[in-house]
Amino acid sequence: MEDPNRMIAATDRVAVPAAISEHVAAPPAWSPVIVAVDRCKGCALCVTACVKGALRIDESTVNVLGYHPVRFAIPEVCTSCALCARVCPDCVLTILAATRRPPS
Amino acid sequence: MSVAIPPGARLIFGRPELLVDRTTSYCPGCGHGVVHRLVAEVLGELGLGGKTIAVAPVGCAVFAYEYIAVDFVEAPHGRAPAVGTGIRRVRPDAFVLTYQGDGDLAAIGTAEIVHAAARGENITAVFVNNGIYGMTGGQMAPTTLIGQRSTSSPGGREAGLHGYPVPMTEMLAILPGVVFAARGSVVDAPSIGRAKAYLRRAAELQLARKGFAIVEILSNCPVGWGMTPQASIERLKEVATVYKPGVIVDRAKEPAPAPAAAPAAAPADAEPAGEPAAGR
Amino acid sequence: MTATMPAAPRATGGTAPATAPAAHAARHRVQRVLMKGNEAMAEAAIQAGCDAYFGYPITPQAELLEWMAKRMPEEGRAFVQAESELGAINMALGAAATGARVLVSSSSPGISLMAEAMSYMAGSEVPVVLINVMRGGPGLGSIGPSQSDYFQAVKGHGHGDYRVPVLAPASITEAMALVADAFELAERYRTPVIILADGILGQAMEPVELRFRTPERVDFDWALSGADGRPPRVVRSLHLKPEDLEVHNRHLQAKFAAIAGREVRSAGEHLEDADLAIVAYGTAARVARTAVARAREAGLRVGLFRPITLWPFPSGALAELAGRVRGLLVVELSAGQMVEDVRLAVEGRVPVAFDGRTGGMVPTPGEVLAALRALDETAGPRRAVEGGAR
Repeated sequence: MEDPNRMIAATDRVAVPAAISEHVAAPPAWSPVIVAVDRCKGCALCVTACVKGALRIDESTVNVLGYHPVRFAIPEVCTSCALCARVCPDCVLTILAATRRPPS
Repeated sequence: MSVAIPPGARLIFGRPELLVDRTTSYCPGCGHGVVHRLVAEVLGELGLGGKTIAVAPVGCAVFAYEYIAVDFVEAPHGRAPAVGTGIRRVRPDAFVLTYQGDGDLAAIGTAEIVHAAARGENITAVFVNNGIYGMTGGQMAPTTLIGQRSTSSPGGREAGLHGYPVPMTEMLAILPGVVFAARGSVVDAPSIGRAKAYLRRAAELQLARKGFAIVEILSNCPVGWGMTPQASIERLKEVATVYKPGVIVDRAKEPAPAPAAAPAAAPADAEPAGEPAAGR
Repeated sequence: MTATMPAAPRATGGTAPATAPAAHAARHRVQRVLMKGNEAMAEAAIQAGCDAYFGYPITPQAELLEWMAKRMPEEGRAFVQAESELGAINMALGAAATGARVLVSSSSPGISLMAEAMSYMAGSEVPVVLINVMRGGPGLGSIGPSQSDYFQAVKGHGHGDYRVPVLAPASITEAMALVADAFELAERYRTPVIILADGILGQAMEPVELRFRTPERVDFDWALSGADGRPPRVVRSLHLKPEDLEVHNRHLQAKFAAIAGREVRSAGEHLEDADLAIVAYGTAARVARTAVARAREAGLRVGLFRPITLWPFPSGALAELAGRVRGLLVVELSAGQMVEDVRLAVEGRVPVAFDGRTGGMVPTPGEVLAALRALDETAGPRRAVEGGAR
């Protein structure tokens, strides 16, 4: 059930702004937020908790539980603060360290 | 954890090891999910997974043993503190944790929690207070606030008809056997962090054999309150103005502090903010 | 109580106890002392390796609690006077779930409070020994002795489909032995066990031999000890899916059938040539014994059939007896509860009469003898004794 590839695919793509690639040898191969889509109950508490507005409830799809799951819609604004994961009652969100952003 | 961490990535936050990787039976947005995770985190961080004997309640969290991977015994409704006492008395080295809702602890189980606290029983009581009876369909609880609608107070709780809500943790904090009594909430990430700190403090005091500790955690109940999860969190913020979060007593730090004054019976506006509970 | 108790075996977590030489010697030295029933049962439990006692004061068994309050801490074992019988029985549930050997005692009104937890213990398959020193009821009743909790003990006590073994001593010495047997039964079958005593047995003082038995410890694969190096265990009675609960109930019923097949106990006196028999247990049996002696003196061939396990009820032995006698007289300190099971067992083959007192009153041998004579008149014709003499 837990196919990491499926989870990463659910987040669109891993977008790396051009400015960062000047400062890192290679763009990161991972997303800072891994969504366990089939554990999500669509409560949207994470959507409210994210101060950057990176999360959305994806009403275009329904998971095996019958809910509209969360989608990591705007990955580039994520700072891995993990507020979303901390309010989630179902451990849907796994947070990895995001890459450093350049000061500008 | 069954989430595969890519090589080279640093994990900031993930499912704790003692929280079983399965979908819970709890409703979307329910605070039990958060509290279960906090319990699993604290037990894991203190290395107590192999020493814990926990007591499950009757209520929504009757299934706690499906989700927290420690030894569990199921107690009859309200009796968890007595069951925990029995465990403690024959297993001096076990870590004993009881997990109860507000009906379990503050209604049918009032005698058991008071006397376990009065005996200074060296156990940790987790009290998830959502001010309603969730499992049985949303009836009034002893901690339901004045004006709050429920299926057994359809016009809203009235002091004359239904009595006043019961501030259990403040009441228990008076007892000298209670070394630590605190109230947290799941209202936002900082509150969740503080609730976890209270659970951790309570657990450490048990390990130091200091006496009875209770951590109340205010929770939402979206389905019971007739609200969306997000609206229920907003409502919970109001509840937290009546049942005030914070450390009520910590006798291990201060020998004889005055217990906090009992909370007022209702928030400033008696009606729940936003949508009234539909059909209640 | 001035006699020194032999040193009790050290209760350990799950392996066989190591008994000190002094305790061993004491256990086999014949030493008779005058002991109150409540205290004798308590000491028997301690000597049987009881790890924990939980109770609440109620007449007529407060001495049992008080004995435990003094002796259990001496032995380094757990004692709690709980906030109520409800608290006590739930403490027992918790302690027993960890595999400890646990005793609770109370009397009729307190036993009613324990019905809920008994059902949970039966459903969760947790071994606990519960002593009921019966008093007059219903309600607050009286503090006199009675046997009016037979239905409660034997027919289930709490809700749901379950039975628990019920042992009925008729003397203090027997009560002491049954305490050890009760722990053994409880652990062998993972079930609560009730010892049904009454206020007379609890309060009387009789000379008893300080002879005790410590049942062997069993390593339980279900007991909660902390999931260290093994998967977590859960002790519970909730099986939410009806299909699952039915499977569990069938398992329980199979267990009860096994107990019924192996653990029935009864005793008979003067039954070999009897053509009438009294069926009685506990204190009623002692009164009946005197009545039997007087009846024999008066030329009636009467015997006494004494159930020792009230559940499983000795139906087979009673049915066999019914084939040999003209009538049965059931004597109880109640309005008639065991008499129903006697009637079920004999299935109408012989008349079953009843004599009893309620409210804490005790039948006298004279009353029982009068009831016997009445039965003798109304029961069928006398059978000829082998050899012709009457």
